[in-house]
Amino acid sequence: MSGYLEGIIILICINSIAAMGVSLLTGFTGIFTLGHAGYMAIGAYTAAILTVRHHVPWLVAVLAAGTLAMVIAYLIGVPTLKLMGDYFAIASIGLGETIRLILENWQSFTRGARGFPGIANYTTLPVAAAFFLGMLILMRFLINGNYGRAFKACRDDFVAASLLGFKTAHYRVLSLAISGFYCGIAGGLMAGFLTYLQPIMFDMQKSTELTAVVVFGGLGSLSGSIIGTAVLGIVTEVFRPISQYRMLIYGAIMVIIMVARPEGIMGQHEIGPKLLRSLFSRKTVNEVDGTHG
Amino acid sequence: METLLQQVINGLSLGSVYALIAVGYSLVYSILLFSNFAHGGFLVIGGYICYYTLAAVGNNIWIASLLALLGAGVSAVLVERVAYKPIRERTNVTLYLLIASMGMSIVIENIFVVTVGGRFRALPPVIPTNPVNVFGLATTSAFDILSLMMAIFFLSGLQLFLSKTKWGLAIRAASYDLRTAGLMGVNVNQLISIVFFVAGLLAAVGGIFLSVRYTLYPQLGLITIKAFVAAVIGGLGSLPGAVVGSLILGLAEMLTAGFISSQMRDIVVFGMLVLTLLWRPTGLFGKHVAEKV
Amino acid sequence: MADPILRLENLNKHFGGVHAVKDITFSLEQGELAGLIGPNGAGKTTVFNLITGVYSPDAGSIVFKGEDIASRKTYEVVSRGVARTFQNLRLFPRSTALENVMTACQQHFRYNFFEALTHMGRWRNNEKSIKKMSLDLLERVGLLEVAEQAAGTLPYGHQRRLEIARALALQPELLLLDEPAAGMNPEEVHVLNGLILNIHRDFNLTTLVIEHHMEVIMEICPHIICMNFGEKIAEGDPEHIQNNPEILKAYLGEEVEE
Repeated sequence: MSGYLEGIIILICINSIAAMGVSLLTGFTGIFTLGHAGYMAIGAYTAAILTVRHHVPWLVAVLAAGTLAMVIAYLIGVPTLKLMGDYFAIASIGLGETIRLILENWQSFTRGARGFPGIANYTTLPVAAAFFLGMLILMRFLINGNYGRAFKACRDDFVAASLLGFKTAHYRVLSLAISGFYCGIAGGLMAGFLTYLQPIMFDMQKSTELTAVVVFGGLGSLSGSIIGTAVLGIVTEVFRPISQYRMLIYGAIMVIIMVARPEGIMGQHEIGPKLLRSLFSRKTVNEVDGTHG
Repeated sequence: METLLQQVINGLSLGSVYALIAVGYSLVYSILLFSNFAHGGFLVIGGYICYYTLAAVGNNIWIASLLALLGAGVSAVLVERVAYKPIRERTNVTLYLLIASMGMSIVIENIFVVTVGGRFRALPPVIPTNPVNVFGLATTSAFDILSLMMAIFFLSGLQLFLSKTKWGLAIRAASYDLRTAGLMGVNVNQLISIVFFVAGLLAAVGGIFLSVRYTLYPQLGLITIKAFVAAVIGGLGSLPGAVVGSLILGLAEMLTAGFISSQMRDIVVFGMLVLTLLWRPTGLFGKHVAEKV
Repeated sequence: MADPILRLENLNKHFGGVHAVKDITFSLEQGELAGLIGPNGAGKTTVFNLITGVYSPDAGSIVFKGEDIASRKTYEVVSRGVARTFQNLRLFPRSTALENVMTACQQHFRYNFFEALTHMGRWRNNEKSIKKMSLDLLERVGLLEVAEQAAGTLPYGHQRRLEIARALALQPELLLLDEPAAGMNPEEVHVLNGLILNIHRDFNLTTLVIEHHMEVIMEICPHIICMNFGEKIAEGDPEHIQNNPEILKAYLGEEVEE
C-alpha cells in the first residue's frame, strides 16, 4: 500500500477515535460541544513532551495523554455541566480556545506557535488500526448496556431520567470525561503521526469538524460518526487540488444536511442486523425526532 | 492616570462596537432562542460592501455605509429564509439551527476567500482618526469618539423602534413567546425577517468600524465570538444586557492590553465567559426559563 | 396499626407570589389505593413534585417509611421506593418501548463500569434479567407486541400504559400516577381501571392517583383527598366526597366529565 493511502487511513482512524468520543457526548448524552479539539491538543502535547523530552515509551505516553485529557475534562465538567443547551456550547468554545491560547502563549513549555518538532513516528498503520478497533469495541460495549441507556435517558429527558433514579449530573460528567479520554488518545496518536505540532491545528475549525462529522453521521449512531469521519477524510483528500473551495463546500454541506436530513446519514441506527430489519419496517425511530412535545 | 483614561475610552469605544454586534445577536436569540453563529458573516458582508462601494463611488462614506447596511440586512434575511426557515418549520430542535448557522458562517467567510481573496484590506481613511484632546485630560482618536457616537445613535434608534413602532411591539411580544405572538395575529415569518434585517444592519455598522480598526479580511467575523461572550455576560436575550456586557468586555480587553499584555487579552475574554457561566449563567440581565414538570 | 407509609404534614410551596401548596396534610397507609382530586391549578402535580424531590418545600415535612424525605434529591427519593408517571408523558420517544422499561429496570440489576466496558462479570446475567423482567412488565400492560417499536410512535393510550410499566420496573413501594386516564375514551378508562386495580393488588403497592376522570376515582379509590387553590378542602371515602358541598363549589364552572 502506498505511503499516501496509508497516511489517509491512519488519519481516518485517529479522527474516528476522537469522533467516537464526541459521539458519546453529543450523540448519546445530548451535550453539544464546540471545543473538543482542546482535549486533542492536550493529548497531543502531552504525548509529544513525554516522548521527546522525557523519553517515555510512546505507548505509555499516549495512555498518559488520554488520562490527562480525561482528568482535565472531568475538572472542567463538574462546574460547567449544570449549564444547559446553548450555554454549554458557548462555554465549550471558550474553553477550547482558552486551551489553544494557553498552549500558544506558554512558549517555554510548548514552543507556542513556532511549533513542536521532532516527535517519533510511532503511529504506524497497525498501531492506529489497533487503537481504533480496541476503542471502538469498548465504546460499543459501553453503549449496549446500562451506561448507554443512562446516557440516552439524560439526553432525551433529564427530568424523567432523574425520576428513574439516575444521577444525571454524574452521568453527564462521566460522558464528558470519557470523551476527553478518547480525544486525548486521538491527540496522542496524532502527535506520533504528524511528528510536528502547532496549537493552530487544534482550533475551533477542528472542533467544529469533530462535531460536524458526528451530526452528519447521525446523533446516536456510533457507526455513523465513523462513516462521517471517513467521508470527510476522503473528501478532504479528493478536494485537495481545489482546497480553497473545500471549506466553502464543507460549510454548504453542513447547511444542506441540516435542512434536508438533520438526522444524518445513519439517523439513530448502527450497522448490523437490526439496521436491515428496521429498513423494512414502517415505523422507525427517526420519525419522532424533535417534533414531539 | 492619563493612560488609564485613554484605555478606558479605548475600551468604551471597542465595547460600543461590540454592543452593536451583540445586540443584534441577542435580538435574534430572544426571538428564536438559538445562537446564530453566522452573525459574524453579516458583519463581514457589511465591511466588504462598504469597501468596494468606496472604491467605486470615490470615497463617499455616506453612500457606502447606506449600501453596506442595506446589503447586510438583506443578506441576513436571505440567510434566514434559505437556511433557518426550513429547519425551524420542521422541528423545534435548536441544535440543528446551531449547526446550520455554523455552516452558514463558514460559507459566508469562504465566499469572500474564494471571490476576493483572503488578504487584508485597509479601508481608505474616510473616517477621521486624528487625535482629539478630551477635556484636556487625555488624548484619544476621533475614531473612538465617532464609533462611540455612532453606536449610541444606532442603539437609540433601535430602542425607539422597539418601543414606539408596531413592529417593535410585535418583536417585544415575540421575545416572550413567539408562538403566542403568532396566535395573536403577528405574521411570524415577516417578524423574523425584520429581526434579521435589523440584526444584519447593526452588525454591518460594527463591521465598518472594525474594518477601519483592524483592516478588512474574511475572518473578521470571528471577532463576533467576543460579541457572543458579551451577550452571555449581559444575559442572552437581553438587549440592555448585551450593551452592558459589551462595554464591560471592551473595557476589560483594553485595560488588560494596556496594563498586562496584549496576549492576555483573549484569555481574559474567555476567562470572563467561563466565570460568568459558572457564577451566574443567565448573565446580568438574562431571563431564566424554568421547565414545567 | 402500623405507621402510615407516607405522611405529608403542613406542606407548603410558593412560586414567587403564588402559594401553590398550602398546609397540605394527609397520610397514606401501606397498600392503600387513594385518589387526589381537584380543579386544574389546585396544586396536585406540585404535591407530586414535592414528594419526588423535583421541588423542595418551603415548609412542612414529607415522611416516607419513617424518614423525612422533604430535602432529598430526586434520585434519592426514587431509590427509596417512589415512582411516578407524568401528566404530560415523559417517555424517551426515540427509544423502543422495551428500552424505556429496561432503562428503569436496570436500577435493580446493577453492574459496574468495568463490567459494562468489557461485557464480563455480571453483565450477561443482569442484562438477561433486565430484559426478561421488562418484557414481563410490557406483557402485563398489554404492550408486548410493540416492544420493539419506538415509544414516540405509539398511540397515546399505549404510551400512557408504557409509562406505567416503566414506573413499575423501578419496583416501587409508592406509585404516584399523574392523570393516567387523561385523553382516554370511556372504554380505555375502563381498561385502565382494571389495570390499576390489578397492579395494586398484585404488587401490594401503595398508589396515589391524580385524576379528573371521576369514573376512575370513584370506582377504584376508597380514600379520596380533594384540593383547591393549594389547600385540602375535603378527605374521605367516595360517598363522603360526592356529597360534599365544598367540592361541588370547587368544581362549579368546571366541566365534570361523566
